Amino acid sequence: MMHRRMLLGGLAAAPLLGATTARAQAFPSRDLLGVIQWGAGGATDVTGRAVTPHVEAALGQKIVLQNRTGGTGAIGLTYVHGLPSDGYTLLYGAENPLLYKVLNISQLDYTNFTPICLLARSVPVIVANKDKPWNTLKELVDDMKRNPGRIRMASTGPGGQAHVVSTMIASTGAFRHISVPFDGEGPGLTALQGGHADWMTVGSGAVAEHVRAGRVKALAVFNETPLPSLPGVPPATADFPELARLMPWGSFYGVWAKKDIPDEAREKLVAAFRTGTANPQFTQLMTGNGNVVMNTSGAEAEAFLARWQSVTAWILQEAGAARTDPATLNIPRPS
Amino acid sequence: MGFFLLSWLDPSLLMLTAAGTLAGIYIGAIPGLSVTMAASILISFTFAWEVNAALALIAGVFTGGVYGGSRSAILLNIPGAPAAIASALDGYPLARRGEAGVAIGLSTVMSVLGGFIGVIALAVAAPVISEFALLFAPRDYLLLAVMGLLLVGTLSGESLAKGLFAGALGIALGMVGLDPMTAEGRFTLGTVQLMAGIPYVAAMIGFFGVSEALVQLHNLRVKPVKQDVSRIIPPWRLIRKYLPLSLRSSLIGVVIGALPGTGGDIAALMAYDQAKRTVKNPSRPFGEGAYEGLIAPESANNAAVGGAYVPMLTLGIPGDAVTAVILGALFIHGLKPGPMLMIETPHLFWFTVGNLALANIFLLVFGLTGIRAFAKLVECPPSVLIPLILVLSVVGTYSIQNSVVDVYFMLGFGIFGYLLKMYGFQVGPVILGMILGPMIDVSWRRAVISVGDDLGFLVEEAVASPLTMVLMAFMAFLLLSQVKWRALGRRLRS
Repeated sequence: MMHRRMLLGGLAAAPLLGATTARAQAFPSRDLLGVIQWGAGGATDVTGRAVTPHVEAALGQKIVLQNRTGGTGAIGLTYVHGLPSDGYTLLYGAENPLLYKVLNISQLDYTNFTPICLLARSVPVIVANKDKPWNTLKELVDDMKRNPGRIRMASTGPGGQAHVVSTMIASTGAFRHISVPFDGEGPGLTALQGGHADWMTVGSGAVAEHVRAGRVKALAVFNETPLPSLPGVPPATADFPELARLMPWGSFYGVWAKKDIPDEAREKLVAAFRTGTANPQFTQLMTGNGNVVMNTSGAEAEAFLARWQSVTAWILQEAGAARTDPATLNIPRPS
Repeated sequence: MGFFLLSWLDPSLLMLTAAGTLAGIYIGAIPGLSVTMAASILISFTFAWEVNAALALIAGVFTGGVYGGSRSAILLNIPGAPAAIASALDGYPLARRGEAGVAIGLSTVMSVLGGFIGVIALAVAAPVISEFALLFAPRDYLLLAVMGLLLVGTLSGESLAKGLFAGALGIALGMVGLDPMTAEGRFTLGTVQLMAGIPYVAAMIGFFGVSEALVQLHNLRVKPVKQDVSRIIPPWRLIRKYLPLSLRSSLIGVVIGALPGTGGDIAALMAYDQAKRTVKNPSRPFGEGAYEGLIAPESANNAAVGGAYVPMLTLGIPGDAVTAVILGALFIHGLKPGPMLMIETPHLFWFTVGNLALANIFLLVFGLTGIRAFAKLVECPPSVLIPLILVLSVVGTYSIQNSVVDVYFMLGFGIFGYLLKMYGFQVGPVILGMILGPMIDVSWRRAVISVGDDLGFLVEEAVASPLTMVLMAFMAFLLLSQVKWRALGRRLRS
């Protein structure tokens, strides 16, 4: 069904191709395609699918969503980049492309795109296996310093949230731990509950229910203030005030279009996503799950992305995890 | 408990479950269309619906889809879904012998049986099974995958050496793409297309479907076998005879399905291996149309559906890709999937159990109708059937992710698979290697990283874990029981 709809959309547009310059058709005149760079059921997918019906209402056209996964999102991003810059194709992405050049994953990244809307961000939560003796982030860090190379952290690979947050914490005073990469936050949490890992950092959305059920222990939220969805869990800055300079930090989810789409299309899309993201049903869903609704676009979004990239790339560089020096990529040091 | 019957009594939910099951059978039967894809489209589609209606539809599609994959596996040797790979091994030879009707009938009844075992396990033992699944450490996943790889011996055909070569080739193909642990490109030749790896569904369609179509080009003049469609519904004595096998296979299915990270494909392959090792006098040799070789994987893959729901409903952890999508759907509908779901919304649990049971009943009804027409498909002359297989393979592969590159891969593997078959290599071990190779790779590295690269510590931990020891003992038993001790003794004496 999805394919037929796309096909019909394509057919309907074909006769217009030659005429678009002569007689500008009001954007959008047909269905749009939304390419999600992460798999079905993941945070990027769920956030995108939750906001899209509200955006469709504001836009007056359908957005057909499709997951195109692989290469930490590079496959989906490259696919969208290969399609015409007419504003009819959107990229539903997360933070990963900001590190593609630093980690040598792809030469295409968000610099080839324009942010339509940053939808929401998640707050990293530092959690531990419930049988472990630690009750605060400080106790965990002290234990890791006392027992170097003995404590296991579940990670989601280089550049992933767990890796970056542990590197950030280590920037306040070095420690050595075992970092075991899992296929994502879900498998990491599973290993944590089975006792195959001792601690990890997970997005607030994925972990809130596990904390509430007492299956894992939340030590701190990686934020300057506590989260309403995790009452009683202190911010990481309570133990390590110097972390504040790196915050806010965490995964975020947004929608991008190619850099050179027509201004008219961009304006319409930005307006429609602004309305859709403000829908109370969506905002309640996000905040209820411990996410922070962003709803930013334009210069404000660009500034957020630039700062995120600069902070993260340089933390990775200092930890020796970057494959290309951020300086050669003209990524400025965080101020 | 009253919620168990909700979807049986509410006419609209009843209709949705039926429609989902029917649609699922065809989605499953068409190679390339997957249940995961269907479920994620349904989520956007059912956004404004009541959550029960959405869940009813998805449960139907899931149940029907896992079963439907066996249709094309039996009739055309193209597994409609990865979970049906093992069903092709004996299902297709059955169709070539004129027993397509019997094969579909048997696979339907045994799928439903497996489905019900899965539902019962979910209903009575969900918390126990999910705690058990959590015990599996990376080293245990490694042992499971290695055990699965022993199947190469079962699938090798005429020569073990050729089987090993094919298996190793599959493992190498499975390694292509970004390393899942370090994001380092492996064998990607610097192209983005290879970063996501070689899609194994495309390889599967090529190796099974297209290569078989090419092999059939040699027999263009041979008259297709007349299909016997007089007895579709398997006689009771046959069902009773195979009941113990089906139960064993279903239990394998439930456990493998419940493990996060393994699904119906591995469950079905392991059940097939189990059947081949435990059944002493099969109806025919395995691989040549043994009923046992069809019953085991068909029971297991449908039992794995119930198994996959276990960690999802009890812990909020997906058991496979489809349940990951269902978790997303629950979230979008404002529910909070997680460990508290069963405590705070027990009605949702019982609704799901009742719904899956209902879907299995519809599966029996839809599965047993229309078999005659399907079986006749195999009676088409090769000049009709071969183009049909090729078209279906191309369309199916393209629809995986609308990628032409996948189609090239599929065609390439089709021709390559044909050459392999011509020289007496089997394609089964290649696919097995592609599925299990990456699992062995990451489980082994994860196990070694977990102990800080200290192998002594790894042994220490393995010895301390009862689960690991049981798996090791089981594997030792598998290997030792296959050795022909008497022949070995005689050779040593002489």
